[in-house]
Amino acid sequence: MKRIACYAAVTAVSLFPCLPAFAQDYSGRTLVVGTWGGDIERLLKEHVAGPLEAKTGAKVEFLLGGSGDRLSKMVAERNNPTMDVTFQNIYEAPNALKEGLVVAPDAALVPAAADVWAGMNDGCYAMSLVGLGIAYSKAVFPEAPEWADLWNPELKGKMAYAPYPSSEGDGMLAVAARIAGVDESNPDAAFAKLAELGAPMLTYNSLDEVLTLMDAGEIAAAPMISGYVISNLENYEGIGFVFPKDPGPVLVRDMVCQVANSPEPELAQMFIDLALGVDTQTAYAQQVNFGPTNSKVVLSDEEAARVINTPEEVDSLLQLDWEYVITQRSDWTDRWNKQILGQ
Amino acid sequence: MNQTPDISPTTTALLVAPAAVLMFGVFVLPFLFLVVLSFWSQVPGSLSLDTSFTLANYVRIFTDSYYLGGLWTTLWLSGFVTLVCLLLALPLARWIVLHAGRAKGLLIGISILPLICGALLPTLGLVNLLSPLGFINGALKSMGLIQSSLPLLGNITGVTIGLVQAFLPLMVLPLINTIERIPHDYEMAAMSLGASPLVVWRRVLLPLMLPGIVAGSLLVFCAALTAFVTPQILGQGKVITFASLAYQQAAMVLDWPFASALGIVMLMFLALAGVLGALISRRLARAS
Repeated sequence: MKRIACYAAVTAVSLFPCLPAFAQDYSGRTLVVGTWGGDIERLLKEHVAGPLEAKTGAKVEFLLGGSGDRLSKMVAERNNPTMDVTFQNIYEAPNALKEGLVVAPDAALVPAAADVWAGMNDGCYAMSLVGLGIAYSKAVFPEAPEWADLWNPELKGKMAYAPYPSSEGDGMLAVAARIAGVDESNPDAAFAKLAELGAPMLTYNSLDEVLTLMDAGEIAAAPMISGYVISNLENYEGIGFVFPKDPGPVLVRDMVCQVANSPEPELAQMFIDLALGVDTQTAYAQQVNFGPTNSKVVLSDEEAARVINTPEEVDSLLQLDWEYVITQRSDWTDRWNKQILGQ
Repeated sequence: MNQTPDISPTTTALLVAPAAVLMFGVFVLPFLFLVVLSFWSQVPGSLSLDTSFTLANYVRIFTDSYYLGGLWTTLWLSGFVTLVCLLLALPLARWIVLHAGRAKGLLIGISILPLICGALLPTLGLVNLLSPLGFINGALKSMGLIQSSLPLLGNITGVTIGLVQAFLPLMVLPLINTIERIPHDYEMAAMSLGASPLVVWRRVLLPLMLPGIVAGSLLVFCAALTAFVTPQILGQGKVITFASLAYQQAAMVLDWPFASALGIVMLMFLALAGVLGALISRRLARAS
């Protein structure tokens, strides 16, 4: 009997490192996650935080805001971070890794990362796929416009933009550069071409603000990221959304990152694993039209038509050299202020 | 007659110490860091800081026409908002003091509501009122007075309305305090000597109200100079103020040294306004 007990103890101890981390009790510990509010927060609470809390006993606390706020928080807390997981844009993730602010993606730590389409875990883990297309007023455009149609002189000053710097702004500059026959590595041409659209009628702080005005025909069009707009189209009959073809929509990826040296690395990895899992990724696609990065997600034809969800679709999109773009941030912000807003 | 009880210097020091330590920790130290940071620079294309001393951030502010323009807009907008607040608050404060009767407390309470509510909610409410599809444009259109929407957002008009709404209490309260101390007999005496209402205002009431006017103007000017939420939301990215520039550089570009320099320049103007206010107050005290 004693021998059996001894074998059992030895076996348990030897197997302990192999047990899933979920088996541990994390009661009394708190995981801090920085993300966007609204639908994203709701989905993460339902599909990630809830199951994680139930399995581990830990508490998940959300810090809501913009990705710029989170990046500055990571820089400020570089030596003593208080945030464990953060959601960033694709243009921020590679730079955050280069600066040592986040942990490099590793499928050994986050098993679901192995299911993410190859090459997408750039800097951090790829969370969702969206494209920058055109949201337009049907009163102004009876048919879905191409990018070049925005340069109709009659529409000068009738665009709306997100605050710059942003992926929407950088994407629109890349489009303007291609309309001018170059690419974003020629900012002189890109800004000159974009300036031809005039100063925006609105720099919007909320989606409702811009969609209400667009629905009424006051705003002609806006470069917007697909997910949220497509989800809102049923509320605004006068608005359409299109992925243009020449050039194609700009690929934008949301990334989920493990903050370097954070207080709860294991919980952070578990959170990211659940976020990349089939359940969460499917909910993202079905409820907010954010394309899944997990290759094992199966969508209906109707759902798949509304999202970017395969490497082939990704290849057809315009992909920016985000590492170069991020290095231009200060200069381009000055240019945007002066040449676009201040004209 | 009230007598001040004797308090030893040690007791005084102990009583003051918690607040002093708190102020040093949460205000003085961060402020000193802000000053130091403003003389550093951002490594180009990186989130790292170059800690060698440089005046580049200040040179950029005072030689780049865009930033000078932002500074000028912020200064004159603050001055204009102060003037509008003064013109609205003078009759309001006087009416509350002289005619409000029992409702005085209630009216003062209502007038300070914008301060209690914070900046965000009233500003978002104003967006609904002022937007092209908002209440004002809708009412004017339905009355047939306008055909297309008046531009009330994304310009100085919208920002001024928002800032006046937010900071009017800062002018009303000092004025009420001052007007309450002016004996009503002075006005009667001036009128009995043949002074017209305009002359009474110009030569009797306004000089006596000056301390309140100076205090209120200083408060409104400084608040408008540093306002961020209202210009950001109602200006819709088209009214560039120093606070919105500092936010853009600090939170979005992550160029903290430049954002610090913008903050220090703004603080310099606040200090300048404070010194001017103190000089005027001292002169008024001497004259009276």
